[in-house]
Amino acid sequence: MRMLLEQFLNGLTIGSFYALVAMGYSMVYGVMKLINFAHGDLFALGSYLGYTVLVIGAGWITQVFGIWGGVAVAITAAMIGIGIAGLVVERIAYRPVYKAGRLPIVVSALGMSIFISNGIMAIWSPRFQAYPQNAIPSGILSFGDIRITLVKLVTLLVSLALMAFIYWLVERTLFGAAVRATALDRDTATLMGINFSKIILFVFFVGPALGAMAGVFAGLNYGRIIFNLGWGYGLKAFTATILGGIGNIPGAMIGGLLLGVMESLFEGFVSGAWKSVFVFLVLIIILIVRPTGLIGEKIAEKV
Amino acid sequence: MKKTLIWLLISVLTVALLITGCAQKPAETIKIGLQVPLTGDFAAEGQWAKQCADVAADLINQKGGVLGKKVEIVVADDGSNPKDSSLTAQKLISQGLKEVIASYGSSVTAPAADLYDANKVVSVGYGCTAVRLTMEKQRPYFFRTCGRDDTQSEFFAKFAVEVLKAKRIAIMHDNQDYGKGVADDAKRFLQPYIDSGQVELVYFDAITPHESDYSAVVSQIKQINPDVWFFTAYYAEAALLIKQARQAGVTCTFVGNNSVPTPEFEKIAGVDAIKGSIHLNEPMPQFLKSPEAIEFMDAYKAKYNEIPGSIWAVYAADALNALVAAIKNAGSTDPDKVANAMRTMTDAKGITGPMMFTDRGDRKNIPYYAYIYNEEGKLELYWPKD
Repeated sequence: MRMLLEQFLNGLTIGSFYALVAMGYSMVYGVMKLINFAHGDLFALGSYLGYTVLVIGAGWITQVFGIWGGVAVAITAAMIGIGIAGLVVERIAYRPVYKAGRLPIVVSALGMSIFISNGIMAIWSPRFQAYPQNAIPSGILSFGDIRITLVKLVTLLVSLALMAFIYWLVERTLFGAAVRATALDRDTATLMGINFSKIILFVFFVGPALGAMAGVFAGLNYGRIIFNLGWGYGLKAFTATILGGIGNIPGAMIGGLLLGVMESLFEGFVSGAWKSVFVFLVLIIILIVRPTGLIGEKIAEKV
Repeated sequence: MKKTLIWLLISVLTVALLITGCAQKPAETIKIGLQVPLTGDFAAEGQWAKQCADVAADLINQKGGVLGKKVEIVVADDGSNPKDSSLTAQKLISQGLKEVIASYGSSVTAPAADLYDANKVVSVGYGCTAVRLTMEKQRPYFFRTCGRDDTQSEFFAKFAVEVLKAKRIAIMHDNQDYGKGVADDAKRFLQPYIDSGQVELVYFDAITPHESDYSAVVSQIKQINPDVWFFTAYYAEAALLIKQARQAGVTCTFVGNNSVPTPEFEKIAGVDAIKGSIHLNEPMPQFLKSPEAIEFMDAYKAKYNEIPGSIWAVYAADALNALVAAIKNAGSTDPDKVANAMRTMTDAKGITGPMMFTDRGDRKNIPYYAYIYNEEGKLELYWPKD
């Protein structure tokens, strides 16, 4: 029982990383019908930005704001920085080729992904970087036999809160309705007076910013980052996006959390070596039964 | 008539050959290739290896080089992966090199060793310990200055049972060449103890490398609660595992294999997590005390202001020392003669001890040690304290 609960918590934490990154994929896909391959690398870049803020500012930021304040500053800086980076990527890599059809833009996205990860390597070196130990809050909470680090708990709570906020924003506000309408049918939405550039601005700022937050949290939790970090997380998050139904933001959250929990439970109770085999088998089965993903809606074929 | 013609032809050709042979200016240096990972997962190891080889070459050249010529290192980066490794090997071969040092990681070294062998280039591995490199097939031109995975596994079985008195043992690998090799061999050497009921193997499974969150497997170890938890893979995963395990309240003895205890491991995991953990290794750089070792370490410190980060880098320096000794004994850089000299060498002293090789290219008599991290996070010799 203890083990089940612990594995479930572990899975939720990993899953919340996947979910945060997956939301970015899903938002961009919904509006642009583009798989933003650079998204995973923006996540890694966010992690490095947070790292740099903590390393450079470790002394005074922590002194002025306290250790949690330092973390908050790092996260905010990374989110704003990567949000802007997302807008820049859209402006230079996607907008110019948007009208050229779907293939050129996919190639452009792949190129952007390689550009960013190699850029990280060139700037911060190809070696592992360790988040500074003295900037990471070190508390551990015990609930009976279950121990959880304070950082992990905060990661989980903040991620869930943020997901709830994005859910509210997209599903319950007028602006969210505009985003969803654009995802459904861009042309009609524009005819109805929805400002398409504003929606683009929103998805390319908020998506990468969420990724950047996940990146800093990953650094704080695991203490170790490397330039190709975005590849692994990007792939898993993309899987989560498909699992939940691509283009559907709540779907991305559920897909991410589900993927994390499945991985954790299978690794804990069956076999670590077979984890990925199992998880992707489940993914294939789900896609056979529900090709549009868990909560993706069936979209009428255009005739 | 016909006979004289043939003789004439032969003598003309011989003279022509001699003339062209003499006309070629003698090369001013003896070039030795160094294939190391300067980028990718093992970039740190590659950097250290390059620095060690540089220092070793400096020392050799200060003593007058070999065969009256200076030694020159030609560096090539294999990017820590098997695909680039072949390309890199091809590059060094096409430069006409006859002796190379290559490389770190068994799966990276294997394809390169095949190419060097096919092209009759003597290659000496320095950080590739998979048994199959020498035992699966004979590569006449391949040698290594490091030990083999099963040396370490045999040491682990003896150490865990006789010194740590472990009853319940967990073995964890990463499903890759090197880690799985060590784990499988450890299981094999533990088998007699398992059969006699003295030891129980309570966990034998793999983690997925390159991930960040190992809490699932950590929870499992916590549940099983073994006496000894033997991890057989690289420091990057080991650092995360031990950190997450200690945070989760896992208290069992963590034993890491020989590529775990590195400065990067200490930095990522932190002192609190690593103290009390035990690591198996060939002699570590800071514990080498032979005259050759002291001379080398002093020169290295003078140049880089630290000691080499891992023993593998020192083995790269010894790979160079072995090649130079073989070239000296052979009196030439001809690969066949050098390979033969490598096999018959008896008097070569390396930084890590005497260097002799078996017919299959393995080094003879490599000692093994267990080290422990003390309260300050510094390594100390644990066993055997001869």
